[in-house]
Amino acid sequence: MKNNQFITLGIESSCDETSASVVAEGRNALSNIIASQIKVHQVFGGVVPEIASRHHLDNINTVIDSALKEAEVTLDEVDLIGVTHGPGLVGALLIGLATAKAMAFACKKPLVGVHHIQGHISANYLEHKDLKPPFLALVVSGGHTNIVDVEGYQEYRVLGRTRDDAAGEAFDKVARVLGLGYPGGPMIDAAARKGNPHAVAFKRVYLEKDSLDFSFSGIKTGVLNYLNTQKLKGEAVSVEDTAASFQLAVMEVIVNKTIMAAENLKKDKIVMAGGVAANSLLRSMLKESCNKKGIALYYPSPILCTDNAAMIACAAYYKYQAGIEDDFYLDAYPNLAL
Amino acid sequence: MNILAIETTGAQASVALIDETGQVSLETSDQKMNHLQNLMPMVDMILSKRGLKIDDLTYIAVSEGPGSFTGIRIGVSSARALAQALGLQTIGVPTLKSFLYHVPDYKGVVCPIFDARRNQVYGGAYQWMDGQAEEFVPGDAYDLDELLGLLEQRFQSVSGQKEVTFFGDGIIPYRDQIEAWQQASPNNNMQVFFAADDIRLQKASSIARLALELCRSGNRKSLYDLKPVYMRKAEAERKLEGK
Repeated sequence: MKNNQFITLGIESSCDETSASVVAEGRNALSNIIASQIKVHQVFGGVVPEIASRHHLDNINTVIDSALKEAEVTLDEVDLIGVTHGPGLVGALLIGLATAKAMAFACKKPLVGVHHIQGHISANYLEHKDLKPPFLALVVSGGHTNIVDVEGYQEYRVLGRTRDDAAGEAFDKVARVLGLGYPGGPMIDAAARKGNPHAVAFKRVYLEKDSLDFSFSGIKTGVLNYLNTQKLKGEAVSVEDTAASFQLAVMEVIVNKTIMAAENLKKDKIVMAGGVAANSLLRSMLKESCNKKGIALYYPSPILCTDNAAMIACAAYYKYQAGIEDDFYLDAYPNLAL
Repeated sequence: MNILAIETTGAQASVALIDETGQVSLETSDQKMNHLQNLMPMVDMILSKRGLKIDDLTYIAVSEGPGSFTGIRIGVSSARALAQALGLQTIGVPTLKSFLYHVPDYKGVVCPIFDARRNQVYGGAYQWMDGQAEEFVPGDAYDLDELLGLLEQRFQSVSGQKEVTFFGDGIIPYRDQIEAWQQASPNNNMQVFFAADDIRLQKASSIARLALELCRSGNRKSLYDLKPVYMRKAEAERKLEGK
């Protein structure tokens, strides 16, 4: 406790950001330190698990020190340690977990393992102080594409998920073939702003009628086929137009399915989360649709969209308040279900 | 003084406690490759068996590698976090050299080899000289033939008894090759042995004994200077450099 406030230390290392954060009373981030490895992995065109794990180990202790220092909190004043225990890269996850477990054990603090997606959704609690469940959550990131019915702080029901690539993964792959580099999301977003989204009609994949699932591997192939056809014809390709058309095709499906789910469940709130929630087209399209339907739309600021530990601390706080605590056998689960 | 020693570089994790008199206790996991889950409960167990509390620890020692990359990281990150939380210094213990402490009275050369696949090993050779642990062949990543060649060379400069015992998980895939090397060796009085099952692999008790030596000689460091010793770059980095 510090100034009569409950203090949570959050730790996140599931992919390529090493992060630690101190959160007061579950909702007030006093610090949120993120050591990004984007530059490290750029030369490889994507995240290399072994290299990510090595960098997590290099960074984690100083990241935790900085988070405590910036929040002006000592380890003694921490009431709870929350850590991502899945899903994610197993070698990356275990750096955060081993660290959190050893610290909690040595300082005799309670420990809570947090699902990464619950963390992403909880980023909205940090941003919007009055937001409470129930709501519909759309989680889109490099590793996940989910529509989730959030009935309470601990009640999550996945309504739709990707059957192959995550949306962010499709962005990375298409960015690579378009020569836009890594990470694909922001690169395509930027190129698309200069292009015509109706230049190429990429197929929208809706799967079965009423399905809330996604499939993005087809559109990636569609882009490849389009590029090859143009090449054979000897016709020039506009990278901007292709990026814009690809982006629109993906986002249209995501927006339509999300609105359909909200209407089916009569939800008056939609909450966006995950790295792709920072995409400008997705935000503006969803905003427009929500306005038309009278649905309130929430999304976190870009820094809380990326992987960060404040969201993990927040989610850990609510789990702990609900009476959930983990023991020191806590393990990493690369495919942890929500 | 109480040093906690952590060993997670091999298939089986273990922890040990050693005090200034050299009295060691050891706790070994009965599960393989489950280090992350079992490590802290094992630390808890060994402390309570010894009647100690976590705050009674003076230094945190860890087997720094080589070995399984993932295993090394579990050990190093746990050791660092314990040191960070308790405000203690750490001791990085060379995993290969620790095998010498499996056999404190042995007169021959101890040669641990860990299978690094594709005919490569992490290996080194060590021996006791007047009660001091000495390096015979430096620890590194080698092609097996290269390591055996270095051993051969070193033996040529040694007079008298020439005896080497191999340790580590590399014994299993490379035993035949090592025996063939011995038969072809011009050192016809060289004797080759393979460690018995119960002393073949990494053990936290040996990490603790070497840690105590290192501690006495001033080899203690801040947790920020405690680094994993992989001895090999990541595959993707090697490929990139090879291009």
